[in-house]
Amino acid sequence: MISHAVLTAMLPEHLLLLGIVLLVFLEIAGRWQRAALAVALVFVGAAAMAAARLSLDGYSAAPFAGHFSVDPAGLLAKAMVLALALPVLLMSRDEFADGEFPVLLLSSLYGVCLMQSADSMPTLFLGLEIMSLPVYVLVLLAYRRPQSAEAALKYLVLGGTATATFLMGASLLYGTSGSMSIDTFTQALASVDTMPRTAAVLVILAFFLKAAIVPFHAWAPDAYEGASVPVTAYMATIVKAAVLLAVVRLFGPAKLASPMLELLAVLPLVSIVWGNLAAMRQPSLRRMIAYSSIAHAGYLFYALLGDAAGRLQAVAFYLLAYGLLNLLAFAALPGATDDRERDLLDNLKGLFHRSPFAALMIGIAMLSLAGIPPFPGFVAKFLIFKNVMAAGHTTYAVLGLVGSYLGIYFYLRVIQFMFMSADAPVADEGKAHGLAFAASLACIAAAAFVSVFPGWIIAGF
Amino acid sequence: MFDAGVLNVVLFLPLAGAALLLVSPAERNDFTRRLTLAVMIVQLALAAWLYARFDANVPGLQFETRLPWIAGWGVNYQIGLDGYNILLVMMTAFLGPLVVAGAFSAITKDVKLFYAMVFLIQFAMMGAFVAQDLFLFYIFWETMLIPMFLMIGIWGGERRIYATIKFFLYTAFGSILMLAAVIYLVYSLQQTTGVISFAFADLVKARLPLDVQSWLLAAFALSFAIKVPMVPLHTWLPDAHVEAPTPGSVILAGVLLKMGTYGFMKLGFPLFPDATQLFTPALMTLAVISIVYGACLALVQDDIKKIIAYSSISHLGYVMLGLLSLELVGIQGAVIQMVSHGLVAGGLFLMVGMIYERCHTRELAAYGGLAKLLPVYSVFFMILTLASVGLPTTSGFTGEFLVLLGAFKAAWPQYMLGTSSLPLVLAVVAVTGVVLGALYMLRFALTFLFGAVKAPHHSEEHPLADLSGREKTILGLIAVAVFALGLFPNEPMRKTELAAKAYRQLVSTPRLPGGQP
Repeated sequence: MISHAVLTAMLPEHLLLLGIVLLVFLEIAGRWQRAALAVALVFVGAAAMAAARLSLDGYSAAPFAGHFSVDPAGLLAKAMVLALALPVLLMSRDEFADGEFPVLLLSSLYGVCLMQSADSMPTLFLGLEIMSLPVYVLVLLAYRRPQSAEAALKYLVLGGTATATFLMGASLLYGTSGSMSIDTFTQALASVDTMPRTAAVLVILAFFLKAAIVPFHAWAPDAYEGASVPVTAYMATIVKAAVLLAVVRLFGPAKLASPMLELLAVLPLVSIVWGNLAAMRQPSLRRMIAYSSIAHAGYLFYALLGDAAGRLQAVAFYLLAYGLLNLLAFAALPGATDDRERDLLDNLKGLFHRSPFAALMIGIAMLSLAGIPPFPGFVAKFLIFKNVMAAGHTTYAVLGLVGSYLGIYFYLRVIQFMFMSADAPVADEGKAHGLAFAASLACIAAAAFVSVFPGWIIAGF
Repeated sequence: MFDAGVLNVVLFLPLAGAALLLVSPAERNDFTRRLTLAVMIVQLALAAWLYARFDANVPGLQFETRLPWIAGWGVNYQIGLDGYNILLVMMTAFLGPLVVAGAFSAITKDVKLFYAMVFLIQFAMMGAFVAQDLFLFYIFWETMLIPMFLMIGIWGGERRIYATIKFFLYTAFGSILMLAAVIYLVYSLQQTTGVISFAFADLVKARLPLDVQSWLLAAFALSFAIKVPMVPLHTWLPDAHVEAPTPGSVILAGVLLKMGTYGFMKLGFPLFPDATQLFTPALMTLAVISIVYGACLALVQDDIKKIIAYSSISHLGYVMLGLLSLELVGIQGAVIQMVSHGLVAGGLFLMVGMIYERCHTRELAAYGGLAKLLPVYSVFFMILTLASVGLPTTSGFTGEFLVLLGAFKAAWPQYMLGTSSLPLVLAVVAVTGVVLGALYMLRFALTFLFGAVKAPHHSEEHPLADLSGREKTILGLIAVAVFALGLFPNEPMRKTELAAKAYRQLVSTPRLPGGQP
């Protein structure tokens, strides 16, 4: 019953595809633009529910053996990423003026889903590209601003480099092993020969580029700043989540040994430190979040140092906490007529007096991203560093923790601006619209649940 | 069962209060104030009930709640009262309503947010005291920073941003290394015993080699010593105290600083006994340096808040000395000294706030002869000053005397046997701290209360108003508590006795790998 397995195992993907088709028809019809948002929400939500349902049923199958397979933990991660896309949709009401926006976003999500289930290098590549290509266009969609073209081009060129590097690595892997399976990567990691090692390093570097690990991070601040706020939120959370979950899948049961261990410890460590230091001096929230996401990518890659069994759990939980709170910050950001002005840190000054709810939400998001208890970011960070330490890499764990300490200051600075500074003279600062408000409520409710019952979610993976 | 429920209510009541404030109308400040005060009084009443029910003859935890929280990691929601925390919980609950009442006139900006922060910090402090699980403790320990950060940053003085960021970064640095140590400790426990648990009761069974113990103690001690604060990690304290609004200072001096000494007593020393033994001379020296150096600094300040801030460093040095003496009287004296300092320093900061509201300056030289202007104020001020100096019949005497007694009792045999004369030297130097304490506090009181009459904003036509009924009530309650602890220390000491014995037992028994269980 292959066809049945294809239907069931790929149900989330099918639902997304259905949504894309429907959205294309709506766009062709040229009417019901308001319906587009509802359609997108319904189909992404349905895809997330389908993935969650399959996961809870303990479903696992391999409809395309050797290329595509699903298991409960992977499905739960998929459901989580899809659910994180819902607030993005909610906060992007204005973006829906461009009919192609939802089509692109859902296409990108399709790629995200594909990556989470890839068993072979071509499938992984397909997923990676289906995810990335629409995002280049999404960045460009903010064409009202001059930087967006530059940002999109930079992102495209560097994304292309990552693709080329990945393909080079994958072809070398195929050349040495004669197999397309992602298992060849794990074997190459353990190998002592030059060729497989080179291949493994190339693949790792490609993912470093995609996840914006220092020194391959330079595209992130520009791309994040050039894009509109919802697209930045999408890049910072969903794209990052997809890349990292794919990395975890790729690494599988591999136990890291020198010199791969050093590669995977030192560069993320440098990312943590550099991301946190550079974020201190950024003038806008989007650039700041870009650098902060570089640091967070560092923590996430740190999870690979831990034992294989706990990796997915640590990464997925971290992504959930990080994604929810990041989205919360973006959703609560007050609206403005000029998207460029919207997130200048100076404009946040005195926000508490103008809009207490937004200030509280952004404040909570900042504290959680800084990893301060009782917010979920703390448990997430704890989980990662616990695994790193349990694997015996005490020094790296301590250095990483000290690196994370460096990050506290710039998050506090945002709070200082919102609560402790004199009010900024802001012209026509609109309230966030109702849907964005709903998005922030959903995020804060989910975040509260995660921080009160972290064990329940951790046990799921 | 019922009592354990009450303890949970005591813990979560402030959180419920904060939630209530969230939905209450923003512009009705008086309603907000009364609501906060009412909630705090209920908390105090419940805490007092628990205090009365606390059985001094039962070792270990009472009123315990234990629920699995993060099952996979062995993290439990476990809270309870024991001899270690009963007095501190009581003191925290006692200071709660006083802080709120004291803030009635001190805080006029963003009133609702302010009381929400008071609730949150009360919740976090209470939680850190009653937590019996290291993970839970760490969460409360860190959570405390957030409301205090906002409190200093929003309602503080001119250099508030600098002070609050310094406060946060200082304390967070200690915490991050402590977090590393916590993870390592739990992981080692799992390695050696196969038990994965964060419960204090399980963690004290860990047998670690001396070098590991030393590193972990260093990480814990850094975090706690910053909080206490011990010289040379004290530089955040004067800034934070001076810039904080009055209620913030009271909470900071009254309860927050005790977190450090409580942490040493409950965790730092008992978890790593062999390393503690090894580092006792060094730590004791630091404690005595804190006593003397803090007192010397207090002697030369001309900002009245700074005098009290530096005196806190000195007074908490005694607590450390008492804990390290490992003599029963010294340990119990340390606990009494913690409570006493909470009451006295808290009261003094409240009094400074009251005069600041009238005269708008904290410069000592601007004042003189207040005894003639504000007789009632001056009586209370004198009581608290003498309690701070350690006059017999006040709580300050009980604490300091017992600590010094313990220090000498521990030092004498060592001196007689010729093993080490350092403890005796330190104990003698610590005594000079008492003299210095009398010197700076009496200098303070002398300039402040006596001499030629002068005070800013005072004139013949508009004399300064003496204490209002609200202020009299606050200070009256503190004075009663100060004398009660000074005249009848027996009852509270009985409640801490078993814990002090347990502490001494834990710290003085070696726990290296391979020893007898």
